[in-house]
Amino acid sequence: MQFGIFSVGDVTTDPITGRTPDDTERVRNMLTIAEHADAAGLDVFATGEHHNPPFVPSSPTTMLGYLAGRTKNILLSTATTLITTNDPVRLAEEYAMLQVISDGRMDLMLGRGNTGPVYPWFGQDIRQGIPLAIENYALLRRLWTEDVVDWSGKFRTPLQGFTSTPRPLDGVAPFVWHASIRSPEIAEQAAYYGDGFLHNAIFWPMEHTAQMVNFYRQRFEHHGHGQADQAIVGLGGQVFVRKDSQKAWDEFRPYFDVAPVYGHGPSMEEFTRETPLTVGSPQQVIDRYGKFFEQVGHYQRQMFLVDHAGLPLKTVLEQIDLLAEEIVPVLRREAEAVRPAHVPSDPPSHAQRVAAARAAGQSPTASPAAADRWTGRTAEDDVEAADAVAR
Amino acid sequence: MSDRSIVVVSAGLSQPSSTRLLADRLADATVAELAQRGITAHVETLELRDLAHEVVNMTLTGFASGPLRAALDTVARADGLIAVSPVFSASYSGLFKSFVDVLDKDLLVGRPVLLGATGGTARHSLALEYALRPLFAYLRADVVPTAVYAATDDWADAGSDRVNPLPDRIRRAGRQLAEEVADREPSAPAGLYDAVPSFEDLLGG
Repeated sequence: MQFGIFSVGDVTTDPITGRTPDDTERVRNMLTIAEHADAAGLDVFATGEHHNPPFVPSSPTTMLGYLAGRTKNILLSTATTLITTNDPVRLAEEYAMLQVISDGRMDLMLGRGNTGPVYPWFGQDIRQGIPLAIENYALLRRLWTEDVVDWSGKFRTPLQGFTSTPRPLDGVAPFVWHASIRSPEIAEQAAYYGDGFLHNAIFWPMEHTAQMVNFYRQRFEHHGHGQADQAIVGLGGQVFVRKDSQKAWDEFRPYFDVAPVYGHGPSMEEFTRETPLTVGSPQQVIDRYGKFFEQVGHYQRQMFLVDHAGLPLKTVLEQIDLLAEEIVPVLRREAEAVRPAHVPSDPPSHAQRVAAARAAGQSPTASPAAADRWTGRTAEDDVEAADAVAR
Repeated sequence: MSDRSIVVVSAGLSQPSSTRLLADRLADATVAELAQRGITAHVETLELRDLAHEVVNMTLTGFASGPLRAALDTVARADGLIAVSPVFSASYSGLFKSFVDVLDKDLLVGRPVLLGATGGTARHSLALEYALRPLFAYLRADVVPTAVYAATDDWADAGSDRVNPLPDRIRRAGRQLAEEVADREPSAPAGLYDAVPSFEDLLGG
């Protein structure tokens, strides 16, 4: 089972110090947090994508490309990549580039986004959110799996003889997750393709999460990708941990009380009761998260939100250490102890996907012939012709 | 003929509340009229006062916590809904509107609804027609023609039909709601994902 952290990259005033980081500081902090998570031994780092303050991460592949060079083992992912307002052609290119640069140490998670005005800013209509997610992803997949694509649809310019470059690493597309909190159409989409489904449960009671996940599992089986309990599931969560439980409550409460996403609503007591937010000792986190599988089945990835609400960098890094040293090893051991053998422990890795493609008789070429489809000439031909003229 | 569920939403704030009093009268009238048609009706009453904190929390968090979750399920099972609000500042109360705001936007589509309101003087009686009725028209509920307003004075001499129109009006409203409820099949609890189209349809759409 994989454990990681995800960031929405919010710039929030620290309510204790009254200090607000600027965008540059926040971006650099995110990089530090990701590198620290890698060094600490967590499995995944994922960044959100936003195009409006107070959020800074607008360019996930730029950030993840840098991190691919700076980190050793950690898987680089997104939370989420906007499938509705990004051009699927750009997504195909950018994430294939990231896949090549990271040597397959990446995947991505698609979402529709939760900020209404982003749609018109990028020339789209929010009422078309689901149809955009469906059509754009269908095209994205074709661009990754077919070398030359002729395509037309409702939402973007048609393509004739288009080849997205670079081609996916080893001819196998990145693994994709689909994230949704409320839209069963997206769970259906994940199930149809046999992709992963992530429910970001952080603001939701577990009964709701379980309903969505179980719907995805049933549809995964219906579409013939395996048994329902073999579907690839991820959950979002959030914790604040100190060795002493009371210290955790005392330290986190002022952040919780005024945080843009929590503040002025339910009390921290109510919120921790109703949602996966767990404030307390490592053992309390283990007790709570170690039981989620009883409601959603055995799942493959647990992500934690730890760097939000204005928490100082030092505190965030301490949270990562507590997760990596005291919580994750126990949760992983306990999950493995009860996982049935036929249920995958992790989401499929790049190597596994390559092996599966080869076993299925697919032998994707490393790259398509780099010839101009209209003249049949290659760039080398042109160079030779130019040389001939020069001689 | 199977049983039906009448759900009463009362937004009165004091206890005892005249809004609750009117809501109970409307429910009694509806149950009596349904009984005349051979239908047994069960009444469940939601006092929004008891849910006020959860309603505000849900507007901030997007999810229903604690007793509000059960209350929303109750509304979802209603064969007929009776909604009664006090009139504050020329319209329904803020708590009443907040509760409507946290309902799923399609929850009341085609559902029989009887509207009521209370206020200090008869001067506010049209709030039913210019505020509550448009709100429920927006929600595409089937609102019965008679809506019942009770001013403080209406509670005097309510036993005599000749001098006080309120009991008559309550009976008429209850009859109209009962007819709408009796006309329909009992509402079956809808599966959460019953309406999800197949992916082939989504792709083709």
